[in-house]
Amino acid sequence: MQIQLSAVVPVPLRERILQRESDIWNRDVTFQPGQFVKIKAPSGTGKTTLVHYLYHIRYDYTGTVSVNGKPWQSYNRDQLSAIRQGQVSVVFQDLRLFDQLTALENIELKRVMQPQPFYPREKALEFAERLGVTHVLQQSGATLSYGERQRIAIIRALMQPFEWLMMDEPFSHLDEANADKAARLIADECHARKAGFILTDLDHDQRFDYTVSYLL
Amino acid sequence: MQFNEILKKIIHTGVGRGRFWMASVGLGIAMLLILVALQVHTNFNELLYGRRNQNERADYLVVNKKITNDMMGRPELTVFRPEELKDIAAQPFVEDFSIITAAQYNVRLEADQLGFSTLAFFESVPDTFIDVKSDDWKWQEGEQLVPIIVPRDFTNMFNFGFALGNNMPQFSEETIKTLSPGIVISQGMRTASFRGRIVGFSDRISTVLVPQTFMDWANGIYGTGAAKAPSRIIIKTKDPSSTELTTYLEEHKYVTDEEKTKYSKIRGIVQIIVSAVGFFGLVLLMFALLVFSMFIQLVIESYRNEIRLLITLGASPGQLQRYLLRQFIPMYLITGVIAFAAVTGLQWWASGLLAERNMFVSEWPGIIALAATAAILVLVYAVNWMAVRKHIAEHT
Repeated sequence: MQIQLSAVVPVPLRERILQRESDIWNRDVTFQPGQFVKIKAPSGTGKTTLVHYLYHIRYDYTGTVSVNGKPWQSYNRDQLSAIRQGQVSVVFQDLRLFDQLTALENIELKRVMQPQPFYPREKALEFAERLGVTHVLQQSGATLSYGERQRIAIIRALMQPFEWLMMDEPFSHLDEANADKAARLIADECHARKAGFILTDLDHDQRFDYTVSYLL
Repeated sequence: MQFNEILKKIIHTGVGRGRFWMASVGLGIAMLLILVALQVHTNFNELLYGRRNQNERADYLVVNKKITNDMMGRPELTVFRPEELKDIAAQPFVEDFSIITAAQYNVRLEADQLGFSTLAFFESVPDTFIDVKSDDWKWQEGEQLVPIIVPRDFTNMFNFGFALGNNMPQFSEETIKTLSPGIVISQGMRTASFRGRIVGFSDRISTVLVPQTFMDWANGIYGTGAAKAPSRIIIKTKDPSSTELTTYLEEHKYVTDEEKTKYSKIRGIVQIIVSAVGFFGLVLLMFALLVFSMFIQLVIESYRNEIRLLITLGASPGQLQRYLLRQFIPMYLITGVIAFAAVTGLQWWASGLLAERNMFVSEWPGIIALAATAAILVLVYAVNWMAVRKHIAEHT
């Protein structure tokens, strides 16, 4: 699954963006299947906005974002949900867990969303173990610390099949050790699926073997 | 854990549940009213046309023109013209009809045993119109004995009016049948004598009947020559209470036994009541559907953030629609089953009640009521489905 950006400029950031150089905005960029893509972005350059455009939950831009040669806009609601269940997964910066569910239920929600789950339930427990959040699985999403929520959100994103994983500052609230564990898990899961990811962050890092790096 | 179980924790359909219950009760009442209206209609048809209600199946009406003051002394105005007869025969409610043939000769009855002699008259109709079945009801030229059918009203008038008032004995029908009054028919100077024999009593035709063969023979020999135009006719109709029939009679100033057509008035009233009940049911159904739609909107509105996030995470609109509908549909089904069960109970009760009066309707609700139940449930489902679809689409 190929993702192409073609002269994409966010309407609200238009003035600011056109004044400075960017590897992404207002350019033609193609993300090839299986690439590990890092997008380094200083604050206020539209990092989260870009992830939302790539995941197609925000539409206030000029230019086109194409998936498999077709602009996002040409996919209908059902096709979109099929893509989100089977081809593109996401870790939002604001994580977006359901407070009324426990941590485990938040993970399960994504796992059983497909009639034939990609992974058995044990896999969720295994990932929780790897990231050190087993003890919070039965707690309500509302009571978790930000770091715990971040790890739950990562595990949730890994419960489904995907070709692309979008991540918006996925390690921002994790210490080095936990961030490395999470990165290893993500890399393992991407390799297992032969999938690529697009990760945005503020700084440089060496956690992944990036195929390509952009400056937003 | 199933997806829907997790959804249940996110989207509680308990919000505004009171309104949902009230709407369900409204739906139940609406269904009941509609089903009752349809069932009453079905029952009425069965009473009128059903095989088991044979006595009601076909009826005979003797029809004549109304004699007004203007017509007095002008008998030609009271007879049916050929085009009028043709028009009557062409009416859809007329299954069969015949003119009543009047005698064109004078008749005198002499009951020697009673020392009693009276002027009389004869009329005749084809045998199929006669409600008296008797083997003696036949006559051939040369036979001396003429069978006669008299209206039951006559014997009643004699027994309870005339006989009591004049200190004469009352006669049973069996006794009357054994009498053989002398019959003298005459035209001018020509006369002929026969023996009469009363073979039956008619509730249907209020006249003195002789067999058609006798009438034809006697009119031929003792008639005035010119055939007399009929002034009374008898029609056979499936449904004497048909409003079409009564309207037709009224329009043409014909009269008949109103006792038999009085059902048309009752039927008209019943139809109006049934229609009103059905209409009220439909209005109530509309309101119930409106409340359901508003309830669905309320639920979806109050969980719009959750629904948006679910869609963002990849839940399909279809999955959410199915989940939401599954929360409501069982209630509708139960409501429908209860309403149909109530109608079934009412029907069973009504059929028992009617059977005591020799009116037979099915103990079970008709196929129309069943079909209506299904149709209403399909309608409710469709309206709900559209409401859920519409409001979910607003958040995707």
